[in-house]
Amino acid sequence: MAQGKNEGIFQAHEDLSSGGMIDKLASFFEGRGAFLFLVPALVLIGIFVIFPVVWDVYISMTNASLVGPSAKHYIFIGTQNYFRLFQDFLFLNSLKVSFAFTVLSALIGQAILGLALALVMRMEGIKGKILVATVVFIAWVIPEVVAGYAWSAVTDKQGLVSAILSFFGVKTEYSLYFTHPFEVIVVANIWRGTAFSMILFTAALEGIPKYIYEAAEVDGATPWQRFKYVVFPLISQAILVDFILITIWTFGVFTLPYMILGPGGGIGNAGQLWTLYIYFKAINNFDIALAAAASNVMFVIVLALILAYLWSMKYFRRW
Amino acid sequence: MERNVLAYVLVYLFLAVVFAFFVGPLLWLFLSAFDPNASPVFEIPSHFTLDNFKKLLVPVGNVIPLQWILNSLIISLSAATIATLVSVISAYVFARYTFKGQGAMLTTFVILRLVPPIVIALPIMMLYNWWGLINTYLGAILVIAALITPFALLIAESFFRSLPVEYEEAAMVDGCSRLGAFMRVTLHLAIPGITTIWLLSFVTAWSQFVIPLMILKNPALMPASVGLSYFFGEYGRVDYGRLSAFSLLFSLPVIIIFLSIQKYLRKGIAGLVSR
Repeated sequence: MAQGKNEGIFQAHEDLSSGGMIDKLASFFEGRGAFLFLVPALVLIGIFVIFPVVWDVYISMTNASLVGPSAKHYIFIGTQNYFRLFQDFLFLNSLKVSFAFTVLSALIGQAILGLALALVMRMEGIKGKILVATVVFIAWVIPEVVAGYAWSAVTDKQGLVSAILSFFGVKTEYSLYFTHPFEVIVVANIWRGTAFSMILFTAALEGIPKYIYEAAEVDGATPWQRFKYVVFPLISQAILVDFILITIWTFGVFTLPYMILGPGGGIGNAGQLWTLYIYFKAINNFDIALAAAASNVMFVIVLALILAYLWSMKYFRRW
Repeated sequence: MERNVLAYVLVYLFLAVVFAFFVGPLLWLFLSAFDPNASPVFEIPSHFTLDNFKKLLVPVGNVIPLQWILNSLIISLSAATIATLVSVISAYVFARYTFKGQGAMLTTFVILRLVPPIVIALPIMMLYNWWGLINTYLGAILVIAALITPFALLIAESFFRSLPVEYEEAAMVDGCSRLGAFMRVTLHLAIPGITTIWLLSFVTAWSQFVIPLMILKNPALMPASVGLSYFFGEYGRVDYGRLSAFSLLFSLPVIIIFLSIQKYLRKGIAGLVSR
């Protein structure tokens, strides 16, 4: 490697720095000059993403409020908000709701439905499977506000879901999002997010060579045995990645339940996820400091999940 | 053989139920947009009409709904362009140089790309009150661009890594400076990739909700996502026909873009499993 010229924080790859035909500007660019290319991105992210996260930690330790005298002039009060937070029934409730929402709608709903769809997509001679995949895909890509609006309409007392239920003899006097807020957002989120798991598992299944599968068939394995002993072990990495990613995303879902239930999360706050709780506290109750404390607690939880994801990627790469 | 037939029947039954589940809300949305008497009821309209679309020019409060689509265009086009520009140039540095803290920075980008926007929505609202960026296009554009950048940067970085370094070397041997090689050779080779990054950034910006909800309170400045929720929530009687027409118009660009980059998206998702 060409030493001397390239010392400093940057060292160009060996194969690029060995030539001797560099003019002045280029040699500036070879060395520290290239760092200039990083500046816009780092400044943008630093000011508008990292700084707010840090600022949030400070706000959570003050008595800041959205309106009133403590909106402009707030004072430092230490960790009081965190004690207040963990004594707040609504916050503990929102943790429980978010946890149940994630397990039911993502880990059970989206992952299983997505895997089933991916297995069907792999079968030969099934007509219409592309059409089904396309509709599942569209449900995932339309703006989340639109998905929320559509789901609030189909779970209205006159809506499609109520009509289907009454066809099967289940009478619904009120709108479903009113009587069953939690169930509605769970189902809506399965609808919204299954495509990701389907695409991920389809890709993982395509990575399995056909002959392995056929060998098992020749040996007389039943479809279930083939799935359990051949397919499943080969896609276990994909399953882990899928679980972690959909957990992170589902944990952060805001728009869909906001559109269907509003920030209160429906009757008895049964559907108030922590994301709605933060909005509710800050905007409806003006309690910005408490909301900031809540978002920091959740940030730490999400961070732990993300680190688990990164760790699992590393772990599998070693194989 | 009999088992096989049964299996096929079960598969088709499964597909039919799944199809009905997924198509139901979408079909209602579509039908009600053309229905003169739209309501939550799922039905074929007595006749199809474009009136609901024409009504998008009739003010809600004192803003016409089409203004919200225009606002979304202003914000998303600018945010996607800024995010693409800043991430492409820095991704090049990440892909072609090794330097201290590189790994840590990339890890930070992965983390930032996965953090839910609500976490920064609240402090951004407070900071914007302080900086005077509340209720401005500029404020919305900058924060949305910043949110998309880590994601765009990671895609761009892996893209540059996949481009062979030999073309650049050849250009440099022929007397190009490194900067020249980047501008004249690498960027040209990267045009399809950069287009994809821009399109992905655009759709991400287009669908943003919670951040604009907190910083754009003035109905005249709202993007379509916030406008839709405002339109839906503020008034006692919901005008379903108009809302559905608006929703269709708002979803159309995203659906077109996603269907056209589907293949790339599949590859990207496959890359999540095996890197």
